Amino acid sequence: MLRRVPWVVWLFLLIPLAAEVFWVFWPALNSFSLSLTRWNGIGAAEPVGLGNYVDLWNDPIFRTALRNNVIWVVGFGGLSVLGGLTLAVLLNRPGRGIGIYRSAIYLPMVFSLAVTGLFWRVMYQPAGLVNTALGAVGLGSWERQWLADPDVALYAVLIAAVWRQVGYIMVLYLAGLKGVDPALEEAAAMDGANRRQRFFSIVMPQLRGVNAVVFAVTVIDSLRTFDIVWAMTRGGPYNSTQLLSTYMFEQGFTLVNLGYGSAIAVVIFALAIVFIITYLVRSIRQED
Amino acid sequence: MSTTSHFTRRGFLLGATALGTGGLLTACIGSGGGSDDETGGSGDDGSSGAGAAVTLQSSLSDPAPKAALEQVVAAYDGDVTLNTVAIEQFRAQLSTYLTSNNPPDVLTWYAGSVARDYAAEGLLLDVSDLWTGDGACAGFSEALKSLSTAEDGTQIFVPTNYYWWSIFYKKSAFEQWGVSVPETWDDFLALCETLKGQGVSPLANGIGSTPWMASGWFDYLNLRINGATYHRELLAGEHAFTDPEVEAVLTEYAKLIPYFDPNMASYSHQEAVTPMIQNSSAMYLIGAFVTQFFPEDQQDDIDFFSVPPINEDVPSAEEAPTDGYFASANTANLEGTKALLSYLASAEAQQQFISESASSNLPTSPDVDSSGFTPLVQKGIELLENTEEITQFFNRDSSDALQSTADDALTRFLADPSDIPGILAGWQAAAEQVWNQ
Repeated sequence: MLRRVPWVVWLFLLIPLAAEVFWVFWPALNSFSLSLTRWNGIGAAEPVGLGNYVDLWNDPIFRTALRNNVIWVVGFGGLSVLGGLTLAVLLNRPGRGIGIYRSAIYLPMVFSLAVTGLFWRVMYQPAGLVNTALGAVGLGSWERQWLADPDVALYAVLIAAVWRQVGYIMVLYLAGLKGVDPALEEAAAMDGANRRQRFFSIVMPQLRGVNAVVFAVTVIDSLRTFDIVWAMTRGGPYNSTQLLSTYMFEQGFTLVNLGYGSAIAVVIFALAIVFIITYLVRSIRQED
Repeated sequence: MSTTSHFTRRGFLLGATALGTGGLLTACIGSGGGSDDETGGSGDDGSSGAGAAVTLQSSLSDPAPKAALEQVVAAYDGDVTLNTVAIEQFRAQLSTYLTSNNPPDVLTWYAGSVARDYAAEGLLLDVSDLWTGDGACAGFSEALKSLSTAEDGTQIFVPTNYYWWSIFYKKSAFEQWGVSVPETWDDFLALCETLKGQGVSPLANGIGSTPWMASGWFDYLNLRINGATYHRELLAGEHAFTDPEVEAVLTEYAKLIPYFDPNMASYSHQEAVTPMIQNSSAMYLIGAFVTQFFPEDQQDDIDFFSVPPINEDVPSAEEAPTDGYFASANTANLEGTKALLSYLASAEAQQQFISESASSNLPTSPDVDSSGFTPLVQKGIELLENTEEITQFFNRDSSDALQSTADDALTRFLADPSDIPGILAGWQAAAEQVWNQ
């Protein structure tokens, strides 16, 4: 069957493949071989076998980062999907000024994560907007140093990241909701289904395609989160908000432990590939 | 076309994967573990062509020092290309710059163990001839010379300015509170108590986005309790952080914790100055660069005093981080590089840089006419002239990697000082990782 594909098509496929191999796979492979060495960027790299991975396993900061990444994937994914879906359902109706609401909620997505981080850092200042607002509504006992308290710092950053992501997820779901057949919902209403039943049994199944996209986007976004944590806490206070990506950056580029940093990168890659392969397999199955 | 090709997406993906894997395998064989190749090539952004202009790679990215260096370079009659890189990026890429095939000729950086480490790799130009005869650095002090000397006894660094650390305060605020500068350590603790009683935060600090600020007090308490020699040896890995000596330092440090600004964990070193400007915090152990954060009309109000002695048996010591330049060993323009270094070390260039940058940095050249400097800077010069030992700062006396272990341990300690032995054990474990690297 493949023989019937004109050779020109193969040629056109080969060019991007060559570029991909050279610019993506080749450096990625170098990173693998680098992770088996100890190298500070000067002179020859000293091979240490799996030593970096053994060190990683015994490194308390790495374990904190790994745990934080799990919290991040669950919290960031859960909250932004829940928020985005709720907003999409609420705003999926004609009405005056609905466009303004939608754009206002989408607006944070326009800013870069670094800007979002700086903006929230100001809000979280000891005398900043968050604490002032809490004091004004009589919740003075909730006031704290949001980014300096290791018990809440990670969640404070998480809120800022979700604040930005929610608009994006909302837009994806709004597009999905446009494709939902209203006739089906009306028919169900005729048959006596309540709002809740109609949503979960009629609308949600029709959003399956969007759900898959949202899932992939969210998982990949949460694994590659870096800039907002770096802009807000740099992994502090005392490494309690370190994610795998920020710890990799610190080891690789601030401390120039290129081998150790590469080993963390390999771990991130392994985690991401598990999710991506699951996603690809699922979507291919559905297409066939 | 769509009628002829029946291949499915799965088939396509499989094919692509097969091709991709094939490519990977070949790449794998081809690589042969040659990661050394990567050292070259990538760092030639902003390097000069052979011979012509000398490249000066600068990490002075703050507005005032950046403008000052531009002025200094503009006044030089040679051909210089000045590249300013943000300091974080500069730090990360420094080894790439130095190992590239076409390196920048002259680079700004720190004296001390960092420069020595690069010199040990053979990456730095030997500038010993600048330190002898009528060389530009020949008149510099012996302390500066030994600081600029590599392990093999050659000089590899050209120091051009340095600054001192001390406890800074505002004279008008002290008058308003009716307190005076303490002479002894007990006086100092009593002063903190008095100020706290008046509702003022006695000690400012900013360990939020700048956790290295927590090392300032650690360094000074170690210098005052155990002395400079022990401090240097500790940072070089010859003692353990679990020693009773270090435990004594943290025990003393713990006494200060109630006196710190309660918001210090949220502030950066710069933000911590704001409460001082508003007279809600009183004293700040920091480098002289702090003066640039005060408003114009408070500049004359700023004064400082040295951390009072604690253990009378150890020699006096101050921290004085030294900045300057080194040159790449692989420079293509040896003559131009040394000429530029000599110019930067000259009294005129130093004086111009210090006055243009509005900092309180001190010149390294004894020929600089210091009579025009502010009384504060004159007092700083006197402080350093009369001290027996000079250290740099935690990271400059050790390494950035050891600094990150200190940041973790000390910010953890400041948040909860109840388990000093536990914190020190964790610190020692992290430090051993660094020393064994």
